[in-house]
Amino acid sequence: MAAHDVMPDIELFQPVTVEEASAIASRLGDKGWVLAGGQDTYGWLKDRAKSPQAMVDLAAIDGINGIEDRSGGLRIGAMTTLREVSRNPLVRERFALLAEAAGKVASPQIRNQGTLGGNLAQDARCWYYRRGLSCYRAGGNICYADSPEGMNREHAILDASRCVAVSPSDTGTALVALDATMVIQNGARTRRVPATEFFVGPAVNITHMTALREGDILTAIELPADWAGAQFYFEKIADRDVWDFALVSIAAAFKASGGSISDARLVCGAVSCVPYRLQAVERAIIGKPRSEETAAAVAGLASQGARPLNYNHFKAPLMENLVKRALRA
Amino acid sequence: MNLVEVKEDVWGREVLLGVSWDLLWVVLTLTAAAIVIHLLIMAFLNKPERPSASGTHLTRHAGVDRGFHWIMAVSVFVLLFTGVLPIIGVDFDWLTIHWVAGLILTAAVLFHTIRAIFWQSPKEMWVSPKDFQEPFDEAVKPGKYSFLQKGMHHAMTLLVLVVIGTGLALFWVMDTPWWSRSNGMDEATLGWMFMLHGASTLGLIVLTALHVYFALRPEKRFYTRSMISGWISEDEHRANHDPGRWSPDQSG
Repeated sequence: MAAHDVMPDIELFQPVTVEEASAIASRLGDKGWVLAGGQDTYGWLKDRAKSPQAMVDLAAIDGINGIEDRSGGLRIGAMTTLREVSRNPLVRERFALLAEAAGKVASPQIRNQGTLGGNLAQDARCWYYRRGLSCYRAGGNICYADSPEGMNREHAILDASRCVAVSPSDTGTALVALDATMVIQNGARTRRVPATEFFVGPAVNITHMTALREGDILTAIELPADWAGAQFYFEKIADRDVWDFALVSIAAAFKASGGSISDARLVCGAVSCVPYRLQAVERAIIGKPRSEETAAAVAGLASQGARPLNYNHFKAPLMENLVKRALRA
Repeated sequence: MNLVEVKEDVWGREVLLGVSWDLLWVVLTLTAAAIVIHLLIMAFLNKPERPSASGTHLTRHAGVDRGFHWIMAVSVFVLLFTGVLPIIGVDFDWLTIHWVAGLILTAAVLFHTIRAIFWQSPKEMWVSPKDFQEPFDEAVKPGKYSFLQKGMHHAMTLLVLVVIGTGLALFWVMDTPWWSRSNGMDEATLGWMFMLHGASTLGLIVLTALHVYFALRPEKRFYTRSMISGWISEDEHRANHDPGRWSPDQSG
């Protein structure tokens, strides 16, 4: 594939309302591209792996960025930058898990420009797919990563169905753990999608990673008060400390009562096409204290059902170790 | 509109992906149009008096054959819905349901083939020169199956065999409870498999729609009843079949 230093010619729309943006995106269909912070977008366009005819830039729209208090919870505009999410006092006070996850995304420069919505809606990082090969995710009939010679160190070990790409979103794991709701507008219609349903696996739709479809604009993320101020743990394992995607990450939230866990959410990133909830672990730790003993007893449940590929067997013990670290912290 | 989907890969080579699903709308539109035209024509034609369903019952389909028919019908419907709905944007976890239905269809077809060859008379379904006179001469009546029923059966057989053959080939390269995917088929062959699988699916949509339409038509409804209860009446037999070519036993 030829490398390009410059952007291709592309028509630019800069709507000022969500309705207008949605109408333009609907009209353009698959020839259009909704642009938030642009951190996922420009790689695609410069590589010519995707060639939309027009972009719908959301930057000029009022009301879809910023962080608001909502009865003990929060409403975060989808265009809020990752830097703001990671540093906002309200987020840090109530949902430190999200602040930490947002603070681990890529690099400071990217967090200054990249948005929460963009981080959630970004496309798969599988290099076969991003190279423009006609794989399943690109509408083809084959997965290059899941082949005897495929380079699949970063790919899925759980719930793969034909495509083995993983969800690359760091904030997605935190938002699933926090029972967040995504607010999506299409024209005048608004729908609220739970974070668990926002991310879509290949068994259900192999060409989309999220529930967003033509004309949909992710406008906000709502965090209910339920998990505000809970005990949190986030850790991201990557090859580099900055500017890298997770090999495995964990986002955990615990509610404690009398020294025991009364409710918990544990979600692993980069092991499946969607943020992967460790429900067996969650069930097993209810009523137990956060301790070394609990961690040792339940860690093995984390990777149950894993089907590693040639080069990513390490992900299963890594998941188990992250669960241990989350539970004994 | 294209007949097939192709994609240019990173090396500039054209890769066949399968049939173009734009054809789905063409096929649905043409089938619906054909049904409407037939409905209109039949509405203007004289309606002959329908034979009575009362009287002696004659066996048309044994229970085992009716069972096969309905198992096949259900599996074909499941296959069509699970195959086509995701293409038109209805998202659900379809693949496992699809291949399970495919295996059921394969087993049913195998069973039917063996039974038809060794326990039934395959001749009943053969097309003879006399059958070709049937549509043009009211005096020529069929044996057990009419010319159109035989045509429908053979077209359905061809399409089902193609869809099963290509389906099994695609099944072989995916993850199942019995083996892990192999990627053992090159992209060009996969493209052909998907193309044939998709094209035969489009054909099955047409035939299934027409089959259901004719099964519901008033003058053919006794055949549908016979596929449920197993019998037709003596009067229906006399009015629609040549007793010299097919003389069924009395239904027990």
